[in-house]
Amino acid sequence: MAGRVFITGLGLITSIGNDVPSVTAALRELRHGIQLYPPFAGDDVPVKVAAPVRGFDTASNDPEDWTYPDAYRIRREVIRGMAPHGLYAWCAMQQAITDAGLGEADFANNPDTGLYAASGGSPQLMGYMLGRMHQLGVMRCSPLGIVAAISGTLNFNLVAHFKIKGASCGFSSACASSAHALGYAYDDLVLGRAKRMFVVGAEDGNVDSILPFAGMRALSLQRDPALASRPFDAARDGFVGTGGAAVLVLETEDEVQRRGAPVYGEVAAWGQASDGHNVAISHPEGEGLALAMRRALQAAQLAPGDVDYINAHATSTPIGDLSEVRAIKSVFAGSGEEGGAGGRSPASPAISSTKALTGHGLSLAGAMESAFCALALREGFLPGSAHIAQLDPECAGLRILRKTVAEPPRVVLNNSSGFGGANVSVVLKRA
Amino acid sequence: MTDVNASVSPAGNRPADKQPRPFSAEDEVALRESLKRCSSATLEAALKFLKTGDVEPLPTVVIGVIERFVDPDLRPKLQEGNDELRLIEDLGIDSLTMMEIVILVEETLRMTINNDELRNLRTVGDIKVFIDCKARGLPPPQPAKFLPIEQIAAVMPIQPPFLFLNEASISSTHASAKYKITGEEFFLKGHFKNNPVLPASIMLEALGQLAVLYLLEGFEPTEAGKVVNAEQIFFTGCEGVRAHRVCRPGDVLSLSIRPKRAKMPLATFEGAIRVGQEKTAIAEEITLTFGLKDAPAPAAAPEAEASAASGGAGGAAPASVVAPASPATTGTTSSSSPTA
Repeated sequence: MAGRVFITGLGLITSIGNDVPSVTAALRELRHGIQLYPPFAGDDVPVKVAAPVRGFDTASNDPEDWTYPDAYRIRREVIRGMAPHGLYAWCAMQQAITDAGLGEADFANNPDTGLYAASGGSPQLMGYMLGRMHQLGVMRCSPLGIVAAISGTLNFNLVAHFKIKGASCGFSSACASSAHALGYAYDDLVLGRAKRMFVVGAEDGNVDSILPFAGMRALSLQRDPALASRPFDAARDGFVGTGGAAVLVLETEDEVQRRGAPVYGEVAAWGQASDGHNVAISHPEGEGLALAMRRALQAAQLAPGDVDYINAHATSTPIGDLSEVRAIKSVFAGSGEEGGAGGRSPASPAISSTKALTGHGLSLAGAMESAFCALALREGFLPGSAHIAQLDPECAGLRILRKTVAEPPRVVLNNSSGFGGANVSVVLKRA
Repeated sequence: MTDVNASVSPAGNRPADKQPRPFSAEDEVALRESLKRCSSATLEAALKFLKTGDVEPLPTVVIGVIERFVDPDLRPKLQEGNDELRLIEDLGIDSLTMMEIVILVEETLRMTINNDELRNLRTVGDIKVFIDCKARGLPPPQPAKFLPIEQIAAVMPIQPPFLFLNEASISSTHASAKYKITGEEFFLKGHFKNNPVLPASIMLEALGQLAVLYLLEGFEPTEAGKVVNAEQIFFTGCEGVRAHRVCRPGDVLSLSIRPKRAKMPLATFEGAIRVGQEKTAIAEEITLTFGLKDAPAPAAAPEAEASAASGGAGGAAPASVVAPASPATTGTTSSSSPTA
């Protein structure tokens, strides 16, 4: 019989808060983290808003220039090989370890503890390093430039600094990356390959990681921070970039019992499927995502009707949100039909996209939003989908939450979709 | 002394491939940025070197750059001016930090340092001498040879339990070693009763052993085809021996000797012992006798004896001693030797 897996700790450095209590409050009160972003102020930049993390300054290419909240103290040897998101994740790791009540021996030099991570690397530091190489010569690249910049920098740094001895690797499926990390961490625990896994998603969330999406017209050009990210709204015009880090501590049932650890909820199963359709555009009917959700529910031995809430991937792009809406309709049979009071089918779970508040965290998204789901399970609320003035007519029949409601969910889904049509759906349950 | 390059190279020794541009105002801005996390003394010393070519401030630059990369808790050690501080063991500098130091030194002093030149730099003193030679356009000195205990025991006529060297570093002009008093030394049982104290005679013995090791590993006899015979080294005499500190189990002795005169059959050394930064014992003169034997099969490397060379700080006129080793015309310090 497959073992059970629980979430025992969270760490969050996000645009809506740098710890669990402030993030919970922001989700309850629908407070967003989007602002007119000063680095986008130039006339040549049509994108004006972003959702940067607060309390950190990582603009410099030299980590020793960075500033961060006083609660953290990081030695030079540790920070020197990090990207900005490595710093965020290092801080989120500290939170998660404390939150889970882990002693040093539970994770450091412990062969039963692993770490799976996901980030897009650091375009900023990569650009800086290559610029230096071309300008000053090959031997003047910072000796730590590579490990700070390339995809994988997140796991390199965290595994070394937290003395992880179990499995470690990075996942690269763009905006589904950290959902993949969570899924495979779950598998390792169920298969008995580890007793505890850190799942980490993080992104720089700065000029170099966000603005390249402008070229593919994926970013919102809104100037009003309160209107820019509005998944499911008829007038949505693209996503708002964000960065930060999210860490989840997953543990086996035996470990939870041994430690007597309180839990947020259970990871019940996950599923994935691919669109096989386009390098950057999601399948118009959301085929891959629908299959991912079906597989996740099947693996969890649950029916669609058991699902109380879906934290949607919906990033506020016209095409992407539509694909997901169609995928959800296809899985939750009957939800596409008119019915019941208020015009929605009783079969539709509550649905929201918390990206309306946070912006879109790319590789960070899956882990961050799974953490939000864990908060919803423990605290007994469903976060609303903010900023919807006029619901996209395609959403008719779906129960898109416009406000946060105090409904304690039993079963929630967290969807993630990445470039190339990679789709992941994670099932979380109240413990 | 105002113009940059003219005064730098006393005898045209600056490597031919290195004719730095004059030091411009933009260079100074870049330098200030590069050294922004170093002490102001470091910046001033670097500016003085770059503007005048005067090599005297170089040790300040080198120490300042190292200090910037060393954990703040360990920085006071650097200020003690101990050239024998080891980069890895004493200062916690790993190989990546070493590369950061090298790159900043390169940027600051506008020089290029090759990987193979770095390999043997183990102490702060090694780096100072190395940078000094680079700046003067001289070939770097023969690097000190590091010997762990296994190698020491393999060459020494003296063996445990009477060998008082754990590790040693030997160059042609100097030898240093460490010995940790374990408390297991057989003589501590009786010296003193219920109060183990390292005998001063053992301190002197340890210095003598280091001198023996120097004769075997650092000294090159002028007699062609000969090497020092390990079986013919004996103690002759010593003068000016003073002990300043009681040493007990747990103390780590830092031993250091310097040859004053060495010519068959006598070699005279000065020696000193520290524990941490505490002066522990000195010997103004320790004299050994030694004999020679034929060198083993392949003839000894035909190197000029560098007895007085390359002390760096000493300053007398090392140029004339070292220069013949590399013809001034072809210049570069590391180009033509196929020793790797």
